[in-house]
Amino acid sequence: MPLGTIDQPPPPFFKQGPSALSRLLVLSALALLLMVLDTRLQMAAPLRQSLAVALAPLQWLALQPLHAVRWSGQYLGSLEAAQREAAVARAELVRQVERAAIVEHLAQENRELRTLLGLRERLPAQSRAAQILYQLADPARQRVVINIGQQDGVRAGSAVMDGFGVLGQVTRVYWGSAEVTLLTDARQAIPVINTRTGQRSLAFGLPLGGAGQSRMELRFEPSATQAMVGDVLTTSGIDGVYPPGLPVAQIEQVTNVGADGFAQVLALPLARVDHALHVLVIDPVGRPVANDAPAAAAANAQPRSVRTAP
Amino acid sequence: MIMSPRQPLLLPANPVFIWGTLVGVLLFEMALQMALLGRAAWAPDLLALTLAFWVVHQPRRVGVGVGFVLGLLIDVHQGALLGQHALAYSVMCYLAVVIHRRLLWFDWKRQALHVLMLFVLAHALQWLVRALAGDGGPDLWMLMAPLWQAALWPLATALLLAPQRRAHDPDADRPL
Repeated sequence: MPLGTIDQPPPPFFKQGPSALSRLLVLSALALLLMVLDTRLQMAAPLRQSLAVALAPLQWLALQPLHAVRWSGQYLGSLEAAQREAAVARAELVRQVERAAIVEHLAQENRELRTLLGLRERLPAQSRAAQILYQLADPARQRVVINIGQQDGVRAGSAVMDGFGVLGQVTRVYWGSAEVTLLTDARQAIPVINTRTGQRSLAFGLPLGGAGQSRMELRFEPSATQAMVGDVLTTSGIDGVYPPGLPVAQIEQVTNVGADGFAQVLALPLARVDHALHVLVIDPVGRPVANDAPAAAAANAQPRSVRTAP
Repeated sequence: MIMSPRQPLLLPANPVFIWGTLVGVLLFEMALQMALLGRAAWAPDLLALTLAFWVVHQPRRVGVGVGFVLGLLIDVHQGALLGQHALAYSVMCYLAVVIHRRLLWFDWKRQALHVLMLFVLAHALQWLVRALAGDGGPDLWMLMAPLWQAALWPLATALLLAPQRRAHDPDADRPL
């Protein structure tokens, strides 16, 4: 009953609906159920999608000040700064053109060699330009939202990169936006290959690196690892999700004896994780099918039979 | 009804104003987070503050159910575990219902102390859920959020009760 107001007729004596305590019990049980459905059973997606549709106009409205500030910042930015940026971009473009000429040549050569060897030709991955809208609020996770979604053909699992390297992966797709988990998120892993040694490994996010800079960590590296500081890691492509050859990170520190018998290898993402604004969403390349399946099944079956033999 | 002698007699609350402030604060908080705060752990949860305020002042209109629904919306907006904020807001609203008769007898400092406990509990619940789901250790900055919210309680009282403090029949010659 509102204290100190004269607005309502006095509340009815008996028909007051369920008490606050019973409401709390029912609703907190519902919340717990939702959490279990969301984490363990992955069944809460329809509810999340429909609520996201209902929330979309509000989000659009709340984003308008941000868009206005960005737009006015661009509009009012000094001519000198714009010209400087243009000069830098032009220099970068010249460098890229030179590289692109080599790449064209190599791609042609590669295509011919692959035909000679009877290998399947590598398909160029589809990509879409997008813009990062905002970071998600959870301080324990590193996720951002981009401005394209299901209606633009974005699929969950797509790689996202900025102009320098892989930035993350699309983990949730809504109608008009998508959620990207950055590589430096503690739960994110990416299969990489060391371009110098050809060594394959898995890079995990390490969000609480020293000096506030988020890093990546190569786990399960043998203590006699050949990795050296300065090596460049690219996607290996064996996961069937990321196209091979995208630059990911550069090794920053190698400690040969880690706490758990493995070497500790830290790498710094090449992408500008905290400053990227314009990104490219690259479709997953799709799993290699047909021919490889029996071989993979045989490889899987091998250790099992060994284990059951004795 | 026994009222605190400290409490002025108020006009009826306009339901449009109640829902308008809840939606407005939701919008404002989303805009603030998206534009400025990012994933800062110390950011105050203004929606929780407004919600607690209206539960204390209008418990027959705004209650546990409203907290649950707003919590679900925040969960979807933040991409958090579905039900994390819903649980925290439900518990907070329930406790606000429990203390709403007592709270208004205190002056603003003690009121802020009372609601501080609600906010601390709501944040602790969220932290617990996240820890159980497997991410995030304790972060000292997280303690800042409930402190902020409690510090903003007097401001919320001043702003949100302002429409009810006007005179019933405005008269230019009369003070008040």
